[in-house]
Amino acid sequence: MKKCDRCNKPATVHLTEIDNGIPTELHLCDQCAGETGYIQQAHIPLNEVLNQLLQAQNRSAKADGLRCEECGMTWQEFKDTGLLGCMKDYDIFAAQLQGVIESAQQGATRHTGKCKESPTDPNAAVKLRQAELNRLRKDLARAVQRESYEEAAKLRDQIKVLESSPGTD
Amino acid sequence: MKPGDLTKQNGEWLSATGPRHEIVISSRVRLARNLASFPFVNKASQPQRSELHRLCRDRLLSLPGNWNLFYVDLDHTEEVDRQILVERHLISKQHTSGEGSRGVAISADEALSVMVNEEDHLRMQVLRSGMQLRECWKTADKLDNMLQEHLDYAFSERFGYLTACPTNVGTGLRVSVMMHLPALKLTGEIEKVFRAAKDTHLAIRGLFGEGTEAIGDFYQISNQTTLGRSEEEILDEFSDSIIPRILTAELTARSILEQERPLALDDRIGRAIGVLRNARLLSTEETLYFLSHLRLGVVMGRVTGLDIDTINKLFLQTQPAHLQRVLGRTLDGESRKAARADFMRQKLQARPP
Repeated sequence: MKKCDRCNKPATVHLTEIDNGIPTELHLCDQCAGETGYIQQAHIPLNEVLNQLLQAQNRSAKADGLRCEECGMTWQEFKDTGLLGCMKDYDIFAAQLQGVIESAQQGATRHTGKCKESPTDPNAAVKLRQAELNRLRKDLARAVQRESYEEAAKLRDQIKVLESSPGTD
Repeated sequence: MKPGDLTKQNGEWLSATGPRHEIVISSRVRLARNLASFPFVNKASQPQRSELHRLCRDRLLSLPGNWNLFYVDLDHTEEVDRQILVERHLISKQHTSGEGSRGVAISADEALSVMVNEEDHLRMQVLRSGMQLRECWKTADKLDNMLQEHLDYAFSERFGYLTACPTNVGTGLRVSVMMHLPALKLTGEIEKVFRAAKDTHLAIRGLFGEGTEAIGDFYQISNQTTLGRSEEEILDEFSDSIIPRILTAELTARSILEQERPLALDDRIGRAIGVLRNARLLSTEETLYFLSHLRLGVVMGRVTGLDIDTINKLFLQTQPAHLQRVLGRTLDGESRKAARADFMRQKLQARPP
C-alpha cells in the first residue's frame, strides 16, 4: 500500500496532476487530502449529501408500511433514490422528511420566498410568515391551557425561529 | 434551428460582454417547477410523461411576447447533438443520458433554456455573460409568472415550490456563478476561498457542474439551500457579498503574481502558448489546462494579438462534440486528440504572435 506523501500514513487518495504537461503522481491520506484542499465537502454532489443525511436518518420516525397511494413511493425507495414521487409524498412522509429537509436546508423548515398565489407580490412571503406566526401563537396559548408543556416547548421554538427571520414584527 | 447550427455562434454567456467577464465567466439562475396534476418525472408513466411533455412544450412555444424559443425533442436527437447542448450548458448531462419523452426550449441567443421532464417537470435556466445574476433572475421570474398563468404548479405554503428532490424545495432557485480563478490556484490561495465557502454553505464545482473536478481553473459557485430564504436574499448575498469577495481575492492574487513573480507568471503563459501552438496531440483536459493560462495572459495584457472572445470560443470549440460538428466528421480517441491539436495550431498560428 502506498504511503501518504505528507505524513506516511496509508494513502487513500491517489491523484495524477498535469503540471506544465508533465504528469506527477500524488498520494495522500484522508486528513492531508482534506488539509491540502484535494477533498472538498463542497465537491460532493448534492444528492450524495442527501444520501448521507438519509443514512443518518435511519433511527428517525418509523416509516415501515407507509406507501403513497398516488404514486407508490415508499420511504425505502426515497432513501435509495433521493427523489420523491409526487407532491403528496411531502404530506405522507412529513414526519420522516422533516429531519431530512432541516439538515439539507441549514435548519430551515419553511418557505419564505415567492408565492404561487401572488407571484408578483414582493410582500407575499412576509404575509405568509406573519399568518403562520399568528397560527403558532394561538396553538401555543391553547397548549399552555391544556398543560401540554412538551408541545408548548416545541411551538415556542418554532415561533423563535420564525421571529428571528427578517420581515416579521 | 437545430443543435448543430449552434456551433456557428458563440452563445450569450461566452460572449465576453458582461460586467467583470474577465473573471466572472457567467451568471446562471435556475428554477425548478412541477405541475400539481402529475406525479414527479421519476414516477410518471410513459403516457403521463408524453402528456407532460406535450403540455409544457405547447405552453412554452405559445408564450406571448418576444421569447424567440426553438424546441429540441431530445428523444429524437442524435447523441452528438445532445452532447453539443451539454457543452454549451443548455441542458444537463442527466438530461442527455435520460430516456423517454423529454426536451428543451432554447432562446435564439441561448440565454434562456427550459428543460422539460428532467428531474423536475420544468427546469428553467437563464445564463448570461459576466456578473448579471439580478438580470438573470428578472428574466426567469418573468417567464415563471407567465407559465404559471396556465400551468398549475405543485406548491405548499410550508415548503414552497415542491420538487422531486427535497434539496431543491422552497424557492427551487439555484444561482450559480462561474469564475476563472487561475491566479488563486497558482498562489495556492484557492484553498482559503474553499474554506470560506464551506462556512457560508456554498457548493463549489468544476466547469461542468455536479460531480466533476475543476479543470482549467473554472469554478462554479452555487447556493446549497433553497428553503427558508427569499429569492432576493439569495441573490443579494451572491451579488453583494460572496462573488465580490472572491473576485477581489483573485485580483489581489493577480497583482501579487505580477509584482512578485512576473517571471514565473510569464513562464506559465509562455509554456501554455508553446504547447497550444505546437502540440500534435491534445486531450480535452490538457487543452483546458493550457487555455486557462493563456486566458490569464490575455486578460492581464501579457499576451498580445489575441482577445478573450477568441479564447472563450476555443474553450467551447475544442470540446469533443463541438470539434466533431465543426470539422464535420466523427472522431474517436487519438484521432480526436490529433484533430484538436491541428485545430488549435491553426487558430493560434493564424494570428500575429
